[in-house]
Amino acid sequence: MVSSNRRWAVVSELAQASNRPIAGQSGRTDLMWLGLLALVALLMLVPLIAGGFLLYSLALCFANALAVLSVSALVRYGGEVSIGHSFFVALGAYTVAIMEHQLGLSVLVSAPIASALGGVAGFVFAFPSRRLSGIYLAVATMALALALPEILIGFEKLTGGFQGLYIALDLIPGVSKPLQRYYVTLAVLGLVCLALAQFRRSPQGMALLMARAQPRAAEAMGITISWARISIFTLSAAIASLAGALLAFSSSTVSPNSFSFWSGVFLLVGSVVSLNGLSLPAAVAGGAFITLVPTYLANAGDWVPILYGTALIAVTLAANAGHLVRFVSDRRR
Amino acid sequence: MPDEPHRGQWLVADKVSLAFGGLQVLSDISMGLQPGVVTGLIGPNGAGKTSLFNCLSGLYHVKRGEISFAGHALQALGPAQRAALGIARSFQNLALCPELSVLENVLVGLTLKRRSGWFSAFVPTAAQRAEQADAERRAMSALSELGIASAAHQMPSELPPGTLRLAEIARAIVSEPKAILLDEPAAGLNAVETQHLMHALERLMRPDLVLLIVEHDMDLIMQLCQQIYVLNFGKMIASGTPDVIRKHPDVISIYLGDDADD
Repeated sequence: MVSSNRRWAVVSELAQASNRPIAGQSGRTDLMWLGLLALVALLMLVPLIAGGFLLYSLALCFANALAVLSVSALVRYGGEVSIGHSFFVALGAYTVAIMEHQLGLSVLVSAPIASALGGVAGFVFAFPSRRLSGIYLAVATMALALALPEILIGFEKLTGGFQGLYIALDLIPGVSKPLQRYYVTLAVLGLVCLALAQFRRSPQGMALLMARAQPRAAEAMGITISWARISIFTLSAAIASLAGALLAFSSSTVSPNSFSFWSGVFLLVGSVVSLNGLSLPAAVAGGAFITLVPTYLANAGDWVPILYGTALIAVTLAANAGHLVRFVSDRRR
Repeated sequence: MPDEPHRGQWLVADKVSLAFGGLQVLSDISMGLQPGVVTGLIGPNGAGKTSLFNCLSGLYHVKRGEISFAGHALQALGPAQRAALGIARSFQNLALCPELSVLENVLVGLTLKRRSGWFSAFVPTAAQRAEQADAERRAMSALSELGIASAAHQMPSELPPGTLRLAEIARAIVSEPKAILLDEPAAGLNAVETQHLMHALERLMRPDLVLLIVEHDMDLIMQLCQQIYVLNFGKMIASGTPDVIRKHPDVISIYLGDDADD
């Protein structure tokens, strides 16, 4: 029974990061499977009809979606909120830029290194903060986001100061820039979603969920709470830095402007909009919201914050309306 | 008391005292739990049962006295380290993770025995699949042992408290611990569910298992336990077989309440 549903597991978790088990719901899984296939097919085919600017924007969406995913993973598995994840995103982005400028390495080599560095930075931050939670941890992460621009400007020789750095190297030589930006970011995002779906069923993933929901019970089963907190923060920071690497690659530039305090807040906004979902559609929705809405509102001038706020409220309400409907129908059942 | 503590695989509390601020919760409690014997711990509300239980499982640190298990001193160890020594416990208020199915909740009980590393947490490998299948088999057999295998794939929110309680016990036994501590397993269960629980616990008993049950339900304790300890106001007022306890004047006065101050 378990094994026959095994192959649906990946698909359905990718389609909907459901908190329900897989078995015994094959009707729903079929539908999710089809929906996901349609979404992936659609995303694969977009470059056939879309122009350069749309492809560029969508590649940024996917990179931001991955950054949103890193915040959502922290919320779902750690029960914690970070408003400073832009620090780890910037770390990944600058790693890619600096490695290209100093060593001439392309993103193929530098992205894994960026992710690993992000993990190390996450660990270094999480270890002393392992007993902080809730608002205290959020404020501590805020310190990261606030310190970031100063650090970037301070190490001007390496980071290019205010002007930042350009990323010119291709990942796949011979393929047009917009196309490789689009497909590479989409592929990495998809792979991370699959990896997270696998993680949900792993002993480590389940241990983290238990540690979040029932810390005392988790400890009684040999799960150390500080281990759990450090692990999920490290993992989340590694994903954020990978997102930063993609962001640098897809925007071809890094500068302190793109990593202000507010970019950390927007990542959290994206995570809320995606309902902290860890699936591909949820991540894309969150990434699209924080990427496209500001872009399309850009010529509204002073009205931008108001329109953005209104859009945020509308999206959150609409998304939660879905939740409410499901809640009501669950109650009736 | 004929028990000779500090020998063999016993869970021993020796003159344990615990105070919260000025409130003395436990004073000089000594008890020795033998393997193969179902031991009960009873007492009225506020007697210190759960406090003693938490001292044994590591949630509270005792200030005075010693607790040891199979020769290991436990005072300095936290709950996770005690779990690694083979001590499992259940919780009075259900402590299942609502995001995990019953089977997955039980699987978490195997965390210390799992060997798959962080790489296979993200990338499926053949070895990881085999390990996962083996863990699921063990979890299913723990659920079957308690008679709730059919609930394996349901979420905790879809199940009645009796089943959840059994699921929690399944989670405690799945790692094949040397000692199981159950905190009021019958709390919130109806008569049928309590009967079911009792049979499950009887089936569970092994000659090498230390089993301690903290419980309000006197019938359950009297039927199930071979050795009973009675706490009142943080003091051990009686211990012995069910027959001894039933006739003990202090126990009778507590439970029948012929004593004016309640």
